[in-house]
Amino acid sequence: MKKLVIKLGVYAFLILISLEVLVRIFYLGEDKPSRFVDESKVEKWKPNQEGYSVTGNRNQNFVRYNINSSGFNSYQEFEPTNEGYEVALVGDSFIEGFHQPYKSSIGRKMELELGETIKVFEYGYAGYDMADQMHLIHAYREDFELIDRIYIKMKFSNDLNRGEYYVQNERLSLESPLNKILKKSKLLVYLSEIGALTPMKNMVNDARILAQGGNRPKSVTQGKTESKDQTFLENFKNLVALYGYDKDKTVLLMDVSTTPKLFLDYLDTNGFDYIDFGEKLNNANRNTTLVYDRHWNNYGRTLIAELLVQDLKSIGVAN
Amino acid sequence: MLFNSLEYFVFLPIMFLLYWFVLGKGLRLQNVLVLVGSYFFYGLWDWRFLFLIIASTVVDYFVGIMIHRNEGDRPKQKLWLWVSIIFNISLLGFFKYYNFFVDSFIDLFEVMGYSIKSTWTLKIILPVGISFYTFQTMSYSMDIYYKRIKPCHDFLSFATFVAFFPQLVAGPIERASNLLHQITNKRTFNYDQIVSGLKLILWGLFKKLVIADGIAPIVDDIFLNHETYPASTLILGVTLFSFQVYGDFSGYSDIAIGTAKLFGVELMSNFKFPNFSRNVAEYWQRWHISLSTWFRHYVYIPLGGSRVSQGRAIRNICIIFLVSGFWHGANWTFIFWGGFHALAYIPVFLMGRNTIYKDNVVGENSLFPSLTELGQLVLTFGIVTFSRIFFRSESLTDSFNFIGRIFSDFSYAPYEHPNGYRMLDYFILLAVFVLYEYRIRRDERNPFQFKSKAVRFLAYTLVIFTMLLFYDSGFDRSFIYFQF
Repeated sequence: MKKLVIKLGVYAFLILISLEVLVRIFYLGEDKPSRFVDESKVEKWKPNQEGYSVTGNRNQNFVRYNINSSGFNSYQEFEPTNEGYEVALVGDSFIEGFHQPYKSSIGRKMELELGETIKVFEYGYAGYDMADQMHLIHAYREDFELIDRIYIKMKFSNDLNRGEYYVQNERLSLESPLNKILKKSKLLVYLSEIGALTPMKNMVNDARILAQGGNRPKSVTQGKTESKDQTFLENFKNLVALYGYDKDKTVLLMDVSTTPKLFLDYLDTNGFDYIDFGEKLNNANRNTTLVYDRHWNNYGRTLIAELLVQDLKSIGVAN
Repeated sequence: MLFNSLEYFVFLPIMFLLYWFVLGKGLRLQNVLVLVGSYFFYGLWDWRFLFLIIASTVVDYFVGIMIHRNEGDRPKQKLWLWVSIIFNISLLGFFKYYNFFVDSFIDLFEVMGYSIKSTWTLKIILPVGISFYTFQTMSYSMDIYYKRIKPCHDFLSFATFVAFFPQLVAGPIERASNLLHQITNKRTFNYDQIVSGLKLILWGLFKKLVIADGIAPIVDDIFLNHETYPASTLILGVTLFSFQVYGDFSGYSDIAIGTAKLFGVELMSNFKFPNFSRNVAEYWQRWHISLSTWFRHYVYIPLGGSRVSQGRAIRNICIIFLVSGFWHGANWTFIFWGGFHALAYIPVFLMGRNTIYKDNVVGENSLFPSLTELGQLVLTFGIVTFSRIFFRSESLTDSFNFIGRIFSDFSYAPYEHPNGYRMLDYFILLAVFVLYEYRIRRDERNPFQFKSKAVRFLAYTLVIFTMLLFYDSGFDRSFIYFQF
């Protein structure tokens, strides 16, 4: 028995080390940048970090990211001016673009189409909802006052769960000392990314629930779809009231086909501009998302950039 | 509880430690632990069906005793044997075949011009493993009837024999002559046996997680959308399915045999590299051995086997293949699959070549197979793979559509993985897998036999690494044979 335990222990240890080496050799485990909350209570990436992001079990999508001094993934610094014409794209991981080369982001594609005099700043951060986004614009109002056009990407069913901004501690818990140590193991990061640790996490959660009396927390989603839509609309109104909304230069970027009529009617009657990207993407003759996850691929990003350039041209920003 | 689930990898070490180091000195306590653990293992799927296992155990325990008690009175013994057969077949008939028979009768009446609205079909859940443990308990009673074994008078041991968790839900379908005496006698902790078991578990997991589950999304896509694909893709789909079902089921069997070894028990081999068979008869000596020998011992030989006139022997062959097909599932596709194999087997039988490969393997005295052998392997694999169209299709109409498209649209088009993965990865993987299986073709119970410790370690690492490379968290990982 002693021999068995010792041998198993030695083998397990050596195999783990070997797997760690293999994962590093083949760049399977991605770098995880650090996040923080700045003095304006905006959650974002710690400035000036570099690394690579990986998608898929077998490194099917490998790209570098570059966090600028403002804390967002971009090839450039965000320095809005009075003289130049600047555009801001505010959104979640689709705008953040860890799944794409940062030099061929939506903003960069727009800049190349519009000419180098127009700058596009991408304030993207995975997990941002409308509360995060509108709070960010409000918190950085000095910068955003200099910015000439703002596009906010939103998905009605996901992004209006909150009517007020507060710091999301769940995401920040990823910065705990223990998590920081664990993140140093590329093998663990890889296992987590491919979902191999999910059964273990579920088992721990189930055990915790069992220890607490066996009652599972009830789903947050309650009531019928109509009342949920109404709640989301109220949340939107509340966010506008709290953080302001410059209707002259702000445009929502959303998929109209997945947005309820209730919300569209409200936007129409109250003068909120929006652009529908759903029609263009859904009718595209090629795939617009990555094959390994649902984020926009290069073609999808090109289509989005085309839509936004078209909008800018329609207001006379470029020819 | 699935062999490839986290729950199992918590359950198994606990069982192992309790078995050897807490209860190691008491055989009865060890058996109690295995029995309770086995019922827990099964109960996690659906505890309500535990009563079926217990009922089958109780019935055959007493039938065995009664057959033995009536020694010398053959009619009474036969009567008791029929009690076992009728009881077990009734369980199967109700839970597995009831709706099939009702639907088939309704279809038959409709063909004859009578329209019947079915009100008799029931919403029945198929209890996992029912086809396996009922066959195991029946074989026990039959073995006593044929005087191959004596009945077991220890109910605890007998219940443990029936419910032994490594082979409870998908075999190997054990014979009492092999397993029961291992349950009733004291087991000893054997380091080499345990290491051999761990190696088999690892190899089984590789076959299941990488080969079977890796290929599954491709096979599902091709069979689901077969009407839109050209012949080249359909041939690819059914070829990959051949590997999928082999990886899935032989992987399960390896894990079962490996797990049993951890408890000091040797289960029978269920697969002996069937992809290296030189004719269909050899294939059936290497594929799902515990089932094919079951039918051989308890159906084919009692019917007279091959020691009767040629006509009757052919009839017997047809019967066992049709019954074997029907055992797999309550669907005409399985009966056709069995019938197809009978048709492929009969010429081999008539040429007297059905037993010539019984005691040797391909490339017996050389490193590589001869050109003739290679041709035989390809032909046999082709026949078996073709039959898989019936095995995999949802209905006979789908099967014939699938076959029809292969012959009517014989064209080539490159196939793209439904989730965008590179197909070349899978072809390389399968090529390496086939080559390695060929290397170890003489001994199905001892993978990872490398002389060098370093090479062995490298092999373990690469196998685990490949499991990660092909891991798919969104995939349903249950075993194909659980549905049978």
